[in-house]
Order: sequence, then C-alpha cells, then structure tokens
Amino acid sequence: MSEPKPLPLVVKDLSFRYHTRDSCAIRNINLSLEPGQIMLLAGSSGCGKTTLMRCINGLIPHSYNGEMTGEILVHGQSIEGMKLSQISRHIGTLLQDPERQILGTYVLNEVCFGLESMALPRKEMLPIAHKALERLRILYLKDKETFFTSGGEKQKVALAGVLAMEPDILLLDEPLASLDPASAHEALLAFRELADEGLSIMIVEHRVDDVLAIKPEKVLYMEDGEINYYGDVAGLMETVDYSRIKLPAEVIARRAKGKVHPVFKPTVPELDKDSEPLLSFQDVRFQYKEDTPEVLHGINLDVRSGEVIAILGHNGSGKTTMVKHALGLLKPTSGKVLLEGVDSKKSTIATSAKTIGYVFQSPSQMLFASTVREELAYGPENLGFSKEQVAENVDWAIDTVNLEEELSTPPLALSFGQQKRVSIASVLSMRSRILMMDEPTAGQDYWNYKSFMDTILQTPGFDSIIFITHDLDLALIYANRVIVLYGGEIVADGHPQDILLDEEKIKKWRLLPTSLLKLNQELWPKTGQYMRAEALSQFIT
Amino acid sequence: MLVSWNYRFRNSPMDHIDPRARFIFSFALLFAATATWNPIILFVLFLIAITWYLMARLTWKDTKVGWFMISIMLFTMIVVNTIITGGGAGGVVPPGGQLVWPGGFDLFGKHFTFGLTVERVWFAISQLMRILSISLAFIIIPYTMDSRAYGVTFSKLGMPDRLAYTMELSFRFIPTLARNFQVTLDAQRARGFELDGGKGNFIKKIRRVAPLLIPVTMNAIVSSEDIANAMDLRGFGEQKRTWLYELKFNWWDWALIVFSVLMLATVLLLAFRFDMRLFSVPGWFYGLFNK
Amino acid sequence: MAKQTEKKSIWAFGTKQVVYAAIGAALYAVLTWAFNVWQIPGAGNVGIRPAIVIPMFFGIAFGPIVGFITGFVGNILADMLSGYGFWIWWDLGNGIIGLIPGLFSALIVKYDEIKSILWGELSVIVGSAAGMGLASASEFWVSGADFNTVLLANFVPSFVTNIIWGLVLLPLLMIAYAAILKRSGR
Repeated sequence: MSEPKPLPLVVKDLSFRYHTRDSCAIRNINLSLEPGQIMLLAGSSGCGKTTLMRCINGLIPHSYNGEMTGEILVHGQSIEGMKLSQISRHIGTLLQDPERQILGTYVLNEVCFGLESMALPRKEMLPIAHKALERLRILYLKDKETFFTSGGEKQKVALAGVLAMEPDILLLDEPLASLDPASAHEALLAFRELADEGLSIMIVEHRVDDVLAIKPEKVLYMEDGEINYYGDVAGLMETVDYSRIKLPAEVIARRAKGKVHPVFKPTVPELDKDSEPLLSFQDVRFQYKEDTPEVLHGINLDVRSGEVIAILGHNGSGKTTMVKHALGLLKPTSGKVLLEGVDSKKSTIATSAKTIGYVFQSPSQMLFASTVREELAYGPENLGFSKEQVAENVDWAIDTVNLEEELSTPPLALSFGQQKRVSIASVLSMRSRILMMDEPTAGQDYWNYKSFMDTILQTPGFDSIIFITHDLDLALIYANRVIVLYGGEIVADGHPQDILLDEEKIKKWRLLPTSLLKLNQELWPKTGQYMRAEALSQFIT
Repeated sequence: MLVSWNYRFRNSPMDHIDPRARFIFSFALLFAATATWNPIILFVLFLIAITWYLMARLTWKDTKVGWFMISIMLFTMIVVNTIITGGGAGGVVPPGGQLVWPGGFDLFGKHFTFGLTVERVWFAISQLMRILSISLAFIIIPYTMDSRAYGVTFSKLGMPDRLAYTMELSFRFIPTLARNFQVTLDAQRARGFELDGGKGNFIKKIRRVAPLLIPVTMNAIVSSEDIANAMDLRGFGEQKRTWLYELKFNWWDWALIVFSVLMLATVLLLAFRFDMRLFSVPGWFYGLFNK
Repeated sequence: MAKQTEKKSIWAFGTKQVVYAAIGAALYAVLTWAFNVWQIPGAGNVGIRPAIVIPMFFGIAFGPIVGFITGFVGNILADMLSGYGFWIWWDLGNGIIGLIPGLFSALIVKYDEIKSILWGELSVIVGSAAGMGLASASEFWVSGADFNTVLLANFVPSFVTNIIWGLVLLPLLMIAYAAILKRSGR
C-alpha cells in the first residue's frame, strides 16, 4: 500500500534509428509525466519530436522499422510487445492534420471508429461516444458530416475520437497548426480542462508563446534529436535560442538587449496615394449559387503601388474568396473587380496572372513537373513569354529563393520548406506586379517562416504585396496596411497602428492580441511605431 | 467543387428493407433476366422490376440523369444496332426471317428498301424489357443506400472487414479530394493553365492534364501515411470489427430473400429444364405484319 | 519510412493497402466526375477519361488488390456521383484495368527507370484489353449483340481511349511517384 503508484508515463534512455538512415533520429531521451500535467515539447522541424511521439504511441516499431534502445513505461509497465490497440487504450494520439485523422463520414461514426475496431457492441458504443462528445461540448455535432465542420470543430471531433478510447495520456502533434487564433485558444483551454480531469498531456508545438497561456507544468526542448532543455517554463525562457522558437515578445526584447540585429527593409516602391489603383474592388458581392448564402457583402477596396497588405480574419470570414476575385478565379455576383483598370469579367485569368501572382497555401497542391526548372517555366510559358524571356525569368526566380543547385531536382523530392520556396519561385517567374500569398507561413516552423518572410519582402520587383494570415504578429511586423474581414465584410482597413489599437475589437473579430502587440502598445509612447521584438529591445529598461 | 450524394431518407417502403436483402434481390433479378430471351418470362420480370422501382418512391427529378444515360445506351443498342444495322440482334436472332416491308416502302415520293425483319422488331422489344429490368433494379441503389450502410452490409454478406471498410473509407475522402482538385485547378489557372484550348499535337494535349492530375494524386498518396497511422492507432484490423450502423432483418426481409431465390430458381428451371431460354417470336406477332 | 525492408508481396492487404485502395477509388471517382464536368457530358462508359490512368497507376504502385478496388469501387462511385446507376460489367472491367498492372508491380523496384516504365506501359495495354474485353463480352450476354457489333461499338472505342490516356499519363505519374519515394527516404 505504501508503495508509490507508478507514473503514467516514463521514458528511459530512449534512442531510435530508422532503418533507412545512418544516424539516430533521437538519442538518450529521458522524461516522465505525472497525472494532470501538461508537457510542452518544442523544437524546430527535424528535431526528432515526431519520432519521439511515434515511439511513445507504438507506431514505432509497429509501422516503422529501425533500431530502438531504452524503455517506455506506461503505469510502470513496458509497452514493448503490446498491441497498438492495447497501447492506445492508455495513450491517445491526435495527429497534426485532423483532416487526415478523421475517418468517419459522420461525426458519430468518427468517434466510434476505435470502439468498432475493439468490437464493442453498438449499445455499449453509444454512451461512450456521447460522453466523449459531451466532454468537449460538441454533442450537437453528432449527426453532422465531418467534411462540413469548421477547422476548430474538426479538431475537437478528432479529439473526441481519441477520447472515446478512454486513454489517460494524450499526445497532441502540433494541434494549433490548422486553427485560427481564437479556435487555437479555445482548443488550448480544452486541453487544460482535460489535464485538470487527470489526464497527462504532451503537446508538440513550436508556437510556444501561445501554449504558455495554459501554463504547461513542464517543457522539453529538443534540438538535433537530443534534449536541449528539460524543466519548467521559466528556465526555458533563459536558455533556449530565441530565434528558434517563438517565445513571448517581452522575453525576446529583454534577451536581445544590447545585441545587433540585421536591419529589415521592404523593397516595394514608395506609396503614392494619388496613383491609379492596381487593383480595385467596387461593391463586390458574391454567392456560389443562387440558393446559397452570400459570402461577400459589398467589398470596396483599392490597392496601390507601394502597399504591403495583410488580410486578417477568422476561418471562413471570406479572405480566400475575396483574393480569388482579384485574379478572376471567381467572378462577382454583383459589383466589379478592376485589375489595372480592366474588368475581371472581360479578361482571362491568364491575362490577370501577368498583374497578380497568386501563391497558394500548400505547395503540394501545385507542384507537378519532373524538374524544378520545368516547374518554374510552366507559368511564363502559359503566359506566352518568349523562350529567352522564360529562361531569364526562371534564372531570376530561382536566384531569389536561393535554390540554384536544385534546378534539375524533381520538386516533389524536396523538403517542405524547399517546396514552399519553389512554389513561390514558380509564381515569381511570371514577373507579376502584385504578389499575393495565402497563409505564406503555414506548415513552417517559426525560424523558417521568419527568414522566409524577410526574404520575400526584401525581394525587388513587386509593386505591391498582399498576404492572408491568421498571425497578428506578421501583420504588424511586415504590413503597412491591414484589412480585417469578418463575416464577409471589411470591418477595418488602415495602418496597423490604427487598426490594432483596440483590444476589444480585435477579440470580437476572432483575432487574439499577441504578446508582441501588447509590448508594442506599452512602448508606443517611446517608439511611435510597431516593431519586431528584437528591435524593441532598445526601448525597454 | 462540392460533391452531393443522392441519398435521402424518404420513408419509402425501400427504406425499410434491409440492404442485404436488397442486394440479394437485385442480383437475383439480374441473373434471372440474363438467363433467358423468352418474352413472357422477360415481361413478368419487367413487371417485378417496375414494382421494385416504385417502392423506392424516387421522383423523376432525382433520377433523370441516370435515365438520360440509360436512354443513350438503349438508343445505340436497340435503335442503331438492332433495328437499323441488325448487328445488335446478331448474337441471338438467326439470319433471314420475315421482312417487315417485303417490297420496300414509299416515303416522300421515293422508294426505300429496308431489311428490317419481324424477328428483329420482336427482339428489340425483348431487349428493351431485359435491359430496363436490370436498370430499374440497380439505378435506385445510390438514391436509397445510406453511405454509412455499405461497410456493414458487405461485411455481413461475408466480405472480409478490410475490404468492406475500404468502400466506407472511400466515401469519406470523396468530398475532400473534390475540394483538393478544385484548389489545384485554381492554383494552376493562376499560373495560366486554361481549361480548353492549348496548342500542340495530340499527345501534348493529353499531357496538359498532368498539372492537375499529378498534384492531386501525389498529395493523396502522401496523406495516406497519416491516415493509415490514424487507423492503426485506433486498433484497425486487429480483430473482427463491429459497426455503428445497425442492420436488422425483419420478416419481410426474409420473405423478400425467399422470393428472390424462388424467382431465380423458377426462371432457371424454365429456361434450362423446359427450354424456355431461347428467343422465339409468337405467332400473333407475325400476324400483325401480315396484311 | 514505412515498413519496406521485408520482401515486397503484391498480395498483402494491411491497413496501408486499405487506405491506398480507398483513396484510389475516391480519387478515380472524383477525377472521372470532375473531368466530365468540363468535357463531354454524358460520355459515360466509353468517354474521354484521363482518370482511367488512376486504377492503372494504383495497380502498378500498390499491387493488384489495390488496383482492382481502385477501378472497381471507383467506377461504382463515379457512376453514383454522376447519377448514372450501377453497371456491374463495366465496374468489373475497370477493376481489371487496375488489377493487371498490379500483377506487373512485382517487377518494379525503381519507378523512374526506363525498364519499369516499359513494364508499366505493357500492363496498360494488357489490362485495358482484358478489362474492356470482359466488359464488352458481357454485352453479348446481356444484350445479345453479335461479335462485330460488340467489337466495334463497345470494345474498340473504350480500349483505344483507355490505352491512349494510360500510355501517355502513366509514365508521368510513375516519375512523380519516384520523386515522392526519394523524399520520404524509402
């Protein structure tokens, strides 16, 4: 009786090497998790966090081969030799993309998937599924088709499917990646609640700043497959390289004090308020079909040379629908879109592409060619450029994204970050006057996306840059104009310093004030402008 | 692109028949109808098929696309192949026979000769009944089957779980893939891809679909690693699974199965034991043409 | 990264294969339907269908069972999406178009080698001949047409369109697939 209860999860001296690799993906990992604790597992991509998760949930060695040493104990019992279904009754895993985790066409089917696999009779399944849905307060979704739920709902549905197996340990793989700020915050609160009910939770996330809102008890920071830091949050703030993961702005500012930082200078031309607009929306309304609700309600907007515009808004606010109109991929139901004075209804997309280059969110949705060179030539060739012109554009584009050595590699064989750069370059090569990007930072870790944005904004050749984002920080660092969409309407349009002042409004728009925004507002009397955290260091005392 | 399925709960008699019984009936009808060319048997089966179709209470609006397809098929098969060229009947109707217009006929002041025989006209009618019977039985399936019912139906009919579940999983990914296709289409149009037109020879034209086909396909393959992991992590395939969707045989389902078996057995017996399998033209039909 | 060390068995049907088959069938259905939207509507069974390469490719990449299900279930689902009903012979024929390349998959190690691509092309021809042959032959039985009619009205058009799309597009997909395999380090 007096013997202490074994901990829910203990990892001892764990190392693993994939069969196909020469070196270990993770080395000498030690950690433990108590009931009710949340552990944040942070690190940039390739640091081994995915491999560590696979070892814990049993996918290694069940589905991936390699050499494993060390031990994983769940409630004092080694998981070696256990079936996956046995492990998953203790350890539930939420994969990064709920879109890929959800297997059921309907919500209730999704939640019951694991129970069906365990061969539970229907009448035992239903109460368990209801309980799981109720726990996340989404019972009302039960008869909905999973495809038609929102991003935040999808994640909760996927989580309910995991909770239905009644695990006491949860592994969450970048659970915030696909969510807008408000949904991400809600999700985090839900995780805290589950921990308070006694579950042990491990969250893999590089948006460290956001996760701190729910005060994780422990932090594990990995680099190159090894533990770089293991302890409480306060210690992490002092030890970890602040350019690698996203720490709170005040921490970065304090630690960057006295250090030299490269100057960032965007290269769009000076703004001329009196110039002809490059792009103009005139009372644009849109609905997909006559019997479906209107998605855009009277959009008015002029884009001029010299503007760097961030379009903010919650998921489903109409951001993507709006920018698709700019290129003519969608045509307004009423109102007009003019591109360099030409009505989009009278022009082809191929013509519009000469003015607007549109980079889609996910590179894998567009890459197809057998070499990078061919991929970059595709756009300009379609636009009817001469052979010499195509070659020149391709060279310039590949230079800009720094991938010269990959010209004859198949794009599909590149890493995600490289693919992202190729997808940008394949739009750059059309030499459009406006660059328009949908969620340019999605899927990249903090360090990668910052350097990526710095490069793009400093690339000469664009009259204007427009990007869609959830991330308030991107808007206030990079944009000189912010447009906020809410429910298909523009609810704010102006300089970031004017738009992002009112915290109440920001919350109403389902955006979340960030630590960087707060710090900037605090220091406003001294700075007179919005800056990145490193630059703010000179203004703090 | 938004996918919409045609299934709706209509509270029709069909909705209350167990899907397993429905499949057994449909296949029994299919085999019965293809076992014989006897016009009387085909006519009886045709009446049964119409009754079956009416039990689903589908509206014309629901099924008109399907009927459009079937009409095209019937037109080529019956009007073109059987009536006009005669090839459509060649497998069954022996050459020769009684001409419909032995001396040709006059139309718009011109004289035509046309080798249509009475046998071929009768055959066209038999063909029509046979194909319509089969069509009536099968066209209703997508309108009357809940997508959640396929897995359990085939599993309970004896198919291994993994196979039965595959179909269910397909349904899950159809809307996702349709959306992905739309995104890829938009992304490539933003790079100047145009739906129609395009220069170059035949092969180049075919290759023009590659920028759409490759990203959608490769994306799907890459995502399958995660999907398989998600399934493994919830114990897929470790034992015989149960299904959330409930199937229940009622007495009328058993009755339908017994009826299906009897129907098929009777037709097979008549066809192969009593030689009612072959094509023949009844005397009265010849009479219609002997004026 | 997945289990690749054990000997390649073309008849294995584990979780991965279930997913490939399901995704293949869904993809085949969606592409058939999507290409129909902006091509010849109602062309149906013997229409101009670039999507026919999907069962061929899933066969050559993931084996005969996956190939068969991709073609068979995919064709059923495509007809459902379009509201065309249910045509078991053509569904089986489409299944065979995927199954036969699947038999050839055992011969292939690297997907971007000339030799592999030639095997793939051969499998397209054999598969289409067998699959469309079966589907057309069923018309003998169902509709009672004679050999010439079946050959000219059913077999030749469907066979020719299928192999044209297959021969041109299959190599492109095989090369792209080889690139993906490199990326994941398998």
